Amino acid sequence: MRLTIRQRYACRQPSGAITSPSPPAPPLPLLSGQGECVINASSSPPAVELHGITKRFPGVVANHDIGITVRKGTVHALVGENGAGKSTLMKILYGMQKPDEGTIAVDGEQVSFTNPGDAIARGIGMVHQHFMLADNFTVLENVVLGGEKLHGIGSAARRKIKQISDAYGLGVRPDALVEDLGVADRQRVEILKVLYRGARILILDEPTAVLVPQEVDALFANLRELKAEGLTVIFISHKLGEVLSVADEITVIRRGTTVGTADPAHTTTKQLAELMVGSELPSPETRESTVTDVPMLRVEGLSLTVTDPDGVVRDVLTDVDLTIHKGEVLGIAGVEGNGQTELIDALIGMKSADSGVIILGDEDISRVPTRKRREDGIGYIPEDRHRHGVLLDAPLWENRILGHVTEKPNSKGFLLDPKAARHDTERIVREYDVRTPGIEVTAGSLSGGNQQKLIVGREMSHNPKLLIAAHPTRGVDVGAQAQIWDQIRAARREGLAVLLISADLDELIGLSDTLRVMYRGQLVADADPATITPEELGSAMTGAAAGHLEAAPEDEAR
Amino acid sequence: MRRITRIATVGVMSAALALSVTACGESSSSSSSSSDSKDNKAAIAYDIGGRGDQSFNDAAFAGLDRAEKDLGVKGTEAEPSEGESDADKVQRLTSLARAGNNPVIGVGFAYAPAIKKVAPKFPKITFGIIDDASVTGDNIANIVFNEEQGSYLAGVAAAKVTKTKTVGFIGGVETPLIKKFEAGYAQGVKDTDPSVKVVPQYLTQPPNFDGFSKPDLGKAAAQGQLDKGADVVYSAAGLAGSGAIEAVSKAGKWNIGVDSDQYSQEGLAAYKESILTSVTKDVEDSVFNLIKSVQDGKPETGEVRYGLDKDGVGLAMSNPAFTKMTEVIAAVDEAKKAIIDGKITVKTAP
Amino acid sequence: MRKFDKDRLILGFAGPALALVVAFALSTLVLLVSNRDPFELYRLLFEQASYSDVQVLIINQAGTYYLAALAVAVGFRMNLFNIGVDGQYRLAAMMAALVGASVDLPGPLQIALIVIVAMLVGAFWAGIAGVLKTTRGVSEVVATIMLNSIATSLIAWLILPKNFGDQAAGSNNLTTGEIPESGWFPGLSMGADAGEIYGFTFVAASCGLVYWFVLNRTRFGFDLRATGASESAAQASGVDAKKMILTSMLISGAVAGLAGMPTLLGDTHTYSLDFPVGIGFTGITIALLGRNHPVGIALSALLIAFLDKASSPLDQFGFEKEIATIMQGLIVISVVISYELVRRYGTRRQQQKVGEELAAGHSLTTEKEAAL
Repeated sequence: MRLTIRQRYACRQPSGAITSPSPPAPPLPLLSGQGECVINASSSPPAVELHGITKRFPGVVANHDIGITVRKGTVHALVGENGAGKSTLMKILYGMQKPDEGTIAVDGEQVSFTNPGDAIARGIGMVHQHFMLADNFTVLENVVLGGEKLHGIGSAARRKIKQISDAYGLGVRPDALVEDLGVADRQRVEILKVLYRGARILILDEPTAVLVPQEVDALFANLRELKAEGLTVIFISHKLGEVLSVADEITVIRRGTTVGTADPAHTTTKQLAELMVGSELPSPETRESTVTDVPMLRVEGLSLTVTDPDGVVRDVLTDVDLTIHKGEVLGIAGVEGNGQTELIDALIGMKSADSGVIILGDEDISRVPTRKRREDGIGYIPEDRHRHGVLLDAPLWENRILGHVTEKPNSKGFLLDPKAARHDTERIVREYDVRTPGIEVTAGSLSGGNQQKLIVGREMSHNPKLLIAAHPTRGVDVGAQAQIWDQIRAARREGLAVLLISADLDELIGLSDTLRVMYRGQLVADADPATITPEELGSAMTGAAAGHLEAAPEDEAR
Repeated sequence: MRRITRIATVGVMSAALALSVTACGESSSSSSSSSDSKDNKAAIAYDIGGRGDQSFNDAAFAGLDRAEKDLGVKGTEAEPSEGESDADKVQRLTSLARAGNNPVIGVGFAYAPAIKKVAPKFPKITFGIIDDASVTGDNIANIVFNEEQGSYLAGVAAAKVTKTKTVGFIGGVETPLIKKFEAGYAQGVKDTDPSVKVVPQYLTQPPNFDGFSKPDLGKAAAQGQLDKGADVVYSAAGLAGSGAIEAVSKAGKWNIGVDSDQYSQEGLAAYKESILTSVTKDVEDSVFNLIKSVQDGKPETGEVRYGLDKDGVGLAMSNPAFTKMTEVIAAVDEAKKAIIDGKITVKTAP
Repeated sequence: MRKFDKDRLILGFAGPALALVVAFALSTLVLLVSNRDPFELYRLLFEQASYSDVQVLIINQAGTYYLAALAVAVGFRMNLFNIGVDGQYRLAAMMAALVGASVDLPGPLQIALIVIVAMLVGAFWAGIAGVLKTTRGVSEVVATIMLNSIATSLIAWLILPKNFGDQAAGSNNLTTGEIPESGWFPGLSMGADAGEIYGFTFVAASCGLVYWFVLNRTRFGFDLRATGASESAAQASGVDAKKMILTSMLISGAVAGLAGMPTLLGDTHTYSLDFPVGIGFTGITIALLGRNHPVGIALSALLIAFLDKASSPLDQFGFEKEIATIMQGLIVISVVISYELVRRYGTRRQQQKVGEELAAGHSLTTEKEAAL
């Protein structure tokens, strides 16, 4: 049955509720902000329409009165910063969570999903950021797994897979073992899996995060094929360049609510970014340099190899040299998995390097255990805070002790000083604006941003000489983000040396005094953050450039 | 979370303590029921395994049962709990003694330390202990058996019967008591035919008493002995021995049973043909005798030894296939006479 | 803050209360189904427990259990499963008894020597598993199970008369010889009928205090708990995980070594073939029931000891004493389930509270930000 097309489907209704910090930025003619109307020529009902979606729960930024209209046969990008609420929204659309308020309509029909099964039945499929494939199964087996009733598990299934693969140019080989496939191939298997189950609307959650540029291009070619066949793609990302190149329409989410839509044909990344973060761009314009010529950390010839479970020895860090001076923020750019994690592990002492020296101040700490390094003044904001930063089941005040158990105010001699630790935790909660009803609640019941604020507060409380900050604002809401940056900048003025690793290039460029690019375990290039653009940096991260990035491109080894 | 749970538990703890303190005022578990009647009562306290072990404890029960029927005695039994200590045994014996049981019999050497503590407190009650002669007293009867003598005869028979010149011995748990069985058996074999080889094996080490209770262990051990060429296997392993008997019987070889006459035991009827003989240990009689002596007003005291002479131990003669082997029987009888006459002294340790 | 505390107090009581009610109901059901009068049984159990001599037995047994459970709990707090407490305490008791019987020092010194030997032997035996885990990655579960068997065989060999054992004339038992009287730990007499509470029971109680203090009030304890809660986070915080594994195994073993002491020093004064076995395994149950908390463990130890001892004469009243074992099983199940239910409820509640706070705080900052 078809519903009649009503005008309001294509028209964003003015919403009085979303009047909060409306950007004072000059109205961009290209962007349609709230209350404006984008009238589409499309004559069929939209593939998906979300209206007034609100979701409140602890742990994640809530969605608040979200409205999105996705036309059929388009690639619709959903952009927003980490923690803006994109994933939550998609989980709602995919039936993994129920909204507290609001309606969802698919193909013009109002629906209510209680689980992903309902969404699949409605033709909605989701490709998660982390693939859900069984490594030791073939592609065929992975695709039919759980969908055995559709086309069996034999030749009919194989035919169907072949057919889908050919129709959308996915180039999937049904009998290959998944463990032999690269990341991009696995992603295509995931897409095929979704299509196999009859999806007409695909949700891709940060699909490019794990891909190198050529693979990204290939993925986009696939997406265009899907679109040409009349399928609808909802594409979640915070990489603006990619979004502009592939999307037909863009919805921007900020702080849990939709703040506008944009037409990619007439929008620049800068405009999009401004819409995404609100009035001010994160790029910190405090360019007064605090860099001194006193080296705080010197790393020379650091190399590290790891042995795979199969016994294969791999180089993960090769001959890394770097120096961070007092008052300097050294940013390391790189696609994840190029040795940044191992570099941090080696610096903090969780992995011991095979060769090379690490000198903090004028002390050689290459062979010093982690605890001593931390006592000596290395602060650590870990990449994965659940694994390395907090004890989820322990109260906040115990988390305040974590990592600094030997230092005041946490202990006196060999004894803990719970009273002082509690007291100091209260101070951190106050000063760093950790939103919590008290310091006895477990860290696990706080939202990610508030956990991060606690970690930053804890590390800053011990006056570190060197701060290792890995993705310090990942998953943190915008307000907290700015606050964390302010803390880092303030400490930098006091002479703190910072090693900053981030996937957020704007953060990296904005905060760093010096930039280095890491690729396959080596520091291959350096750049001046004052002059480099995220695009240039991004291409350097793929190994396409070496040496000083301002200089003319030199011969490439690879 | 943790902090408050602590407070809560402290509360419960103090409540519990308060309760127990008030209860402490009451009497001990047995004083209330002590000597409430002039009935003739007797009690046995079992060792690990308890009743139903088809061996030692069951034999003791049979003695009590017979006393109930023949002497009109009212019998009481008490079982141990796993992993208990001497203190529990003391408490058990004390409560049995207070209840007016006379005699109180501890089945198994494990009761020795407990009897040592309890017996002096009840001078008018006779305490019996089976398999121990180390604790002594006027009101203690130490019932001991010359297991090695019976086993010697089994060794004689085995040495005569074997064709492969290899005989097996399976001990349940490697305790000095079972070693007596092994020692007598080995000596009997060697004295009869020095060329016969004895393959001894123990199922478990104390304190793991599975070797007396798990037939699968016996079965596996017997299999191993058969593989080594044994064609007569003597199992002194309680219930675990039944597994050995099964395996040996299926291989068509000879078994020698233990404790009671296993040829006529119902549970082993399927394998009876293969049970050449059994080394009997008359725990039943010994228990009955002790109870009777108390009833008669002449309670046994000190060491009460059951050897070949009193038929306290011996070799069962119920399998016709065995009794038909006249040459073997003659050799056994000869050895028996020599032991009783003191011409042969059987060792008690291998 | 206040509000939270009250909540937690209620939740703290809710777990055990729910568990007891469920266990009681289940036990009653089982008894009714098997055609036995449950109330007669309960009456018998409590009547037994009202006798002073049974009470003394319960307390003494609980002391032994308490030490074994503490040993297990030290491992649990570190996410280590020391199944080998059983072998550790037996070997420790045996070696300590041997040493104790062969030297004769004045009172306190003799006792101190025996106790120290027991702790060292227990620590050594557990340490083997610790070393295997840290150097070879052998699971401590597997290693300690194996070490239990090895301990059994080793004890059986050592106690042979040809080695260090002693077989009294006329006895079928093997002992390690008697410890001279200077090495007997004086007990607290509760009267002639009741017997005496082992002096070491009080040592056990103070071990609980030490356990609590070390875990909650020292840097070492914090590291240990952190490692148990999240090994990766603890490592990042500067804990040397391998050293921690080894240390906690050694401590667990040393405490396990104490588990045999109440009986050895207070009662038997020798290690013989019938020395109590299986206490290490009961310790696991008790540590689990007590949620590794010193007071919780104490209560569980008393509960299990009560069921053990009060059920012992049941067969004289026509009940199978295995009923007590069934009841212990039912209690374990209900405790595990009800604790988990209460924990989930508590977490949900807490998250809800944080959520409310967050929601309230959110609008506040939005205004602030808007004002900027």
